[in-house]
Amino acid sequence: MAQRAVWLISHEPGTPLCGTVRFSRRYPTVEKRARVFNGASYVPVPEDGPFLKALLFELRLLDDDKDFVESRDSCSRINKTSIYGLLIGGEELWPVVAFLKNDMIYACVPLVEQTLSPRPPLISVSGVSQGFEFLFGIQDFLYSGQKNDSELNTKLSQLPDLLLQACPFGTLLDANLQNSLDNTNFASVTQPQKQPAWKTGTYKGKPQVSISITEKVKSMQYDKQGIADTWQVVGTVTCKCDLEGIMPNVTISLSLPTNGSPLQDILVHPCVTSLDSAILTSSSIDAMDDSAFSGPYKFPFTPPLESFNLCFYTSQVPVPPILGFYQMKEEEVQLRITINLKLHESVKNNFEFCEAHIPFYNRGPITHLEYKTSFGQLEVFREKSLLIWIIGQKFPKSMEISLSGTVTFGAKSHEKQPFDPICTGETAYLKLHFRILDYTLTGCYADQHSVQVFASGKPKISAHRKLISSDYYIWNSKAPAPVTYGSLLL
Amino acid sequence: MGPLSRDAWAQRLGAFRASPSAFMAGPEGEDLGRDLLSDLRSEKLSEQTKVSLLALSMEYPAQLWPDASAAEVAATSLLDTLVLLPPRPSALRRPLLLAATTALAAGGALGPTSGASCRLLPLLLGLAAGSDLGRGFVPASEQRPLQATACECLRELESCKPGLLGGSLGLLRGLLGQEGPVQPLSLLLALALRNTLVLQSRVGAGLGGLLTDKVSPTGGGPWDWTLVEEGDGRLQPQAPSWPAAEEGEGERSLTAREHSPEEARELRAAVIQLLDTSYLLTPVAQAQLLWLLGWALRGLQGQPPALFKPQLVRLLGTAQLTLLHAMLALKAAFGEALFTAQDEALLLRRLTLAAQHPALPPPTHLFYLHCVLSFPENWPLGPEGEEAAPLLLGPQLCRGLLPSLLHDPMALLARLHLLCLLCAEEEEEEKGQLPSPRHYLEELLAGLRQRAALDGGPRALATLCFQASYLVACCLAGQPTVLTPLIHGLAQLYQARPMLAPHFVDLLDQVDSELREPLKVVLRQVVVSRPGRDEALCWHLQMLAKVADGDAQSATLNFLQAAAAHCTNWDLQQGLLRVCRALLRAGVRGGLVDLLQVLARQLEDPDGRDHARLYYILLAHLAAPKLGVALGPSLAAPALASSLVAENQGFVAALMVQEAPALVRLSLGSHRVKGPLPVLKLQPEALEPIYSLELRFRVEGQLYAPLEAVHVPCLCPGRPARPLLLPLQPRCPAPARLDVHALYTTSTGLTCHAHLPPLFVNFADLFLPFPQPPEGAGLGFFEELWDSCLPEGAESRVWCPLGPQGLEGLVSRHLEPFVVVAQPPTSYCVAIHLPPDSKLLLRLEAALADGVPVALRTDDWAVLPLAGDYLRGLAAAV
Repeated sequence: MAQRAVWLISHEPGTPLCGTVRFSRRYPTVEKRARVFNGASYVPVPEDGPFLKALLFELRLLDDDKDFVESRDSCSRINKTSIYGLLIGGEELWPVVAFLKNDMIYACVPLVEQTLSPRPPLISVSGVSQGFEFLFGIQDFLYSGQKNDSELNTKLSQLPDLLLQACPFGTLLDANLQNSLDNTNFASVTQPQKQPAWKTGTYKGKPQVSISITEKVKSMQYDKQGIADTWQVVGTVTCKCDLEGIMPNVTISLSLPTNGSPLQDILVHPCVTSLDSAILTSSSIDAMDDSAFSGPYKFPFTPPLESFNLCFYTSQVPVPPILGFYQMKEEEVQLRITINLKLHESVKNNFEFCEAHIPFYNRGPITHLEYKTSFGQLEVFREKSLLIWIIGQKFPKSMEISLSGTVTFGAKSHEKQPFDPICTGETAYLKLHFRILDYTLTGCYADQHSVQVFASGKPKISAHRKLISSDYYIWNSKAPAPVTYGSLLL
Repeated sequence: MGPLSRDAWAQRLGAFRASPSAFMAGPEGEDLGRDLLSDLRSEKLSEQTKVSLLALSMEYPAQLWPDASAAEVAATSLLDTLVLLPPRPSALRRPLLLAATTALAAGGALGPTSGASCRLLPLLLGLAAGSDLGRGFVPASEQRPLQATACECLRELESCKPGLLGGSLGLLRGLLGQEGPVQPLSLLLALALRNTLVLQSRVGAGLGGLLTDKVSPTGGGPWDWTLVEEGDGRLQPQAPSWPAAEEGEGERSLTAREHSPEEARELRAAVIQLLDTSYLLTPVAQAQLLWLLGWALRGLQGQPPALFKPQLVRLLGTAQLTLLHAMLALKAAFGEALFTAQDEALLLRRLTLAAQHPALPPPTHLFYLHCVLSFPENWPLGPEGEEAAPLLLGPQLCRGLLPSLLHDPMALLARLHLLCLLCAEEEEEEKGQLPSPRHYLEELLAGLRQRAALDGGPRALATLCFQASYLVACCLAGQPTVLTPLIHGLAQLYQARPMLAPHFVDLLDQVDSELREPLKVVLRQVVVSRPGRDEALCWHLQMLAKVADGDAQSATLNFLQAAAAHCTNWDLQQGLLRVCRALLRAGVRGGLVDLLQVLARQLEDPDGRDHARLYYILLAHLAAPKLGVALGPSLAAPALASSLVAENQGFVAALMVQEAPALVRLSLGSHRVKGPLPVLKLQPEALEPIYSLELRFRVEGQLYAPLEAVHVPCLCPGRPARPLLLPLQPRCPAPARLDVHALYTTSTGLTCHAHLPPLFVNFADLFLPFPQPPEGAGLGFFEELWDSCLPEGAESRVWCPLGPQGLEGLVSRHLEPFVVVAQPPTSYCVAIHLPPDSKLLLRLEAALADGVPVALRTDDWAVLPLAGDYLRGLAAAV
């Protein structure tokens, strides 16, 4: 269970190489083991240059995909995981764990402790999950709180020293690189015994516990016979516990109001020490019934120093917060659109913001627009072929608003207007963006009185909640729309 | 050279990292390793720079110190540098330990005879034990971090030399129980324990007191090089618990060796000790611990895997990739012994849930989905090593894992695979209220094709569509309800976007005939029904070259005829000719002749005309099987050569006559003495089946008239062939050598040419009898001949030795057909006609026991020496 090498590569489309190796680290002792384990099937880790080229080709990130290239485009080359075989100098380097996120490619080569011919199943290679965790750890470190390029460069320059702590020999010791940074900074602190490895020091100061619940709601609405609208809530509970002592114990309970929607698919942080079996088994896979466990959801844990995600959950609320329809028809040279949105009465009518984005793909710039709206203002981005309906902080008393109008487009030019493979012809969507503070759709809240802390001093407990939209689509009901299998379940 | 400045080093390291091989090949390469070691002691360089030098040495020791002795020297130097550090806190101690360990382990210098190893190992163990190493070697503030580092170094050495720390198990256990740093010690102990158990079981030994003996690290040292040697340097895989990974390594399993009750108790206590404190480890370290202990305990009697249960209950709620993966490893290792049927169902549910949980990143989803399809079931039904839906994974559970057009390509393909597996099982499933997966699959594929058909869309969309079609064709072969609409849809896609022709050709190459054949038919119909002059002509021709065959000839030829007028450039003409070639191969003749003739006249490009003419000639002259071979893929050309080269090579192989070793043997039978000419009887024999054999003979020295070739339609080994008759037309009565050439076709259709060993025509082979004189007139006839020889001819007397068979035997064996007058057993008169018009007359009279005097006359004096030799050789020739 070790990594032979790790790379960070920035993806730079339009440049000659289409990318630059920003960081790489090799582990020669692991490489030596790979040579013994893999035997005749051993393929050495290449230098950065060839690796970069082969990886970008495999990930289809080179600019040139004009022609059919069999080694890339053949129908039988099917990758179903983020684990690749790279052709380098006539040999295939496998397995290479790699993914692209925010224009940065994260890649590593886990050690396989046996021959590679025939290829062992991925699930049997312990280094694969470790490789993912390693790359996720680096990604979290680079992008936590990072705002601009110079901060990114600073963090990249810290990586060599951090990996000397977190992964000195290719076997990952801690995926949380921030821990290693703190460890380097506070190396002189004498650690008492039984200090957890995931907690590099102890907190000194006023005890406080902060709990914030963020719910994201996503939805696909079709307004069609035979296709069900779908929506889902995904919650994240984040905690920051500033408590004295090596191993303070905390229990947080999440509660629901009487008509709240049960939490399902709960995943917890590894610091949670035990879980009620009702929490473990409550799942969205099963059909819902009244007997579903509805809390309180108790999470006993020993907190790490940093802010962490105590748990994730999903929930199926009975109605979507905003129900709408979108009708778009092509009429000779123009499009006629009609939009209707209705806020459900049970939802808190106090938004931080609420907007409907109405994009028109695969068309030219907007040249003419006539519209009528019952509420809010419309902003027009002619070159981007985009309308934004700014609804504001509150829906009107009727809770229902509408927009109708006609749009005319100029000639299409490929560079400026967005291409979309799905929104062709009259297939189109509008996407809602909104945020409501101090509110959750499930009703889920962390009762401050139910937070139990077994540590010296009475901590100050603060709790926050918010609801935000994410992938909230309303499809044109007058044209075909992509459906999920779930939408066919009527 | 003095020490380099910080900037000079930064520049040098940058140049090295850009391309280590290029740097090492350059002028500075040789000195880099030496300079690095010496500058580590320079007082002018900052610690930060020195750390970067050490970091480099940790990454590229093989380049800096390419052999074991150089690595040994480097490790010694690094240790010296460590010892020489002033007794104050320094950022160098940790990296120096790491670098020395790396140099020894990666350089292959680690061993009982290595001085550096014998210094490093006690130092590391001393640091790990937190013992006082004297002289302020370790400042108090660094003690704790160095203790952890020493454990990491020891773990790496143990990884590279399994069994090295077998003697230190007791010590490590003791340290873990006291105040040592939990994570490094736990991982080190678990690894050493695993390796020791594996090695001990292999040599049939027990743990003995290893887990309890506390060796003093300052003593002789607990290094167990013997155990390392017994391990034969062979590294132990961590994941053999996986059934599929285990195949082919028979002697791997830990033979269920029984430990003594004492040993078993200690082992159990050690494992429990490790597991109980595992919550103090980081999640990734916990996962490692579980993998190691799972492997250590697998197959050990008396060690119930239930020890793991408390940890599993704690971890089942997390979605940490490494932890869930480790749990699956335990599942694979212990099966039902650790996971009851209910546990199994719960684990699969958690896994299914994690594979779609919106809070997790897409790469995690994909890996979990792979884990679902490779789930180590307690009672697996299907073949091992193949992805399949576990039995417990019903349609209800999969609902959220099905693909939609909104997924990215990888997620779509992974989920599509699952959907295909569901469709394959659908027939057995009861039709519930769920919508039909097969119908959903059809819709999805239609959506993918629609996107691929978008004008100007990226190639990735097309590739995805064809990958999906291929996946479906593989998983659902034999399901016409799926394949029929797929074929129909693909044909429509081609109609919409002919530029996808290369993808179609690739798909046809990859899929089984079940999809390929009907798809070919449909695509051919789509192409030939077009007018043959649109802008996509080059794609149509590419497609047609793949799908054209003997069926629907006239439509295809009509299309080509129409297209020919529009093939104005080289590319198109080549495309057109490729289709002709495909038709030629498929055995199309009729209309193709006309087309090729037209092309040979009409095409603008001379190369095109030449090719058309060549194809025409081939078509006109070669039989269908030969044509197939001539145009078939060439065996001679390597696969990557261009098609033109391949074509030429193919022609060379197929149309030229190949020099080959002789596959046929000829032997000379007894000659026939009838008719006006001497005739040789040849017996052919084949080593392999050969066809259309033509034997050509050439007479050396033009002694005979040129010989006709002999033809044999077919020869097979083991099947007796009729003898071949070769009439000779001598120009003078003399023996001769015949050169023999064979020309034949092999069963693969190649025409070969071979030299056979020469045949020798003997003097006697030319003998012909004179016409038989009337009864009783023999003597007169003979005397007349005898007298006619002189005076132009020659006369001689020869002693012909006789063998045991006597004169009678000799005559009956060799001269019987030529005897004119016989008075057995003493006197014979022999008259031989030698074509073209010579005669040889022999009187054999008054034979003695050992010989007979022969009086001979001939009208051709040149025959005399030949006759003499012949007679003298007769006795020996018996």
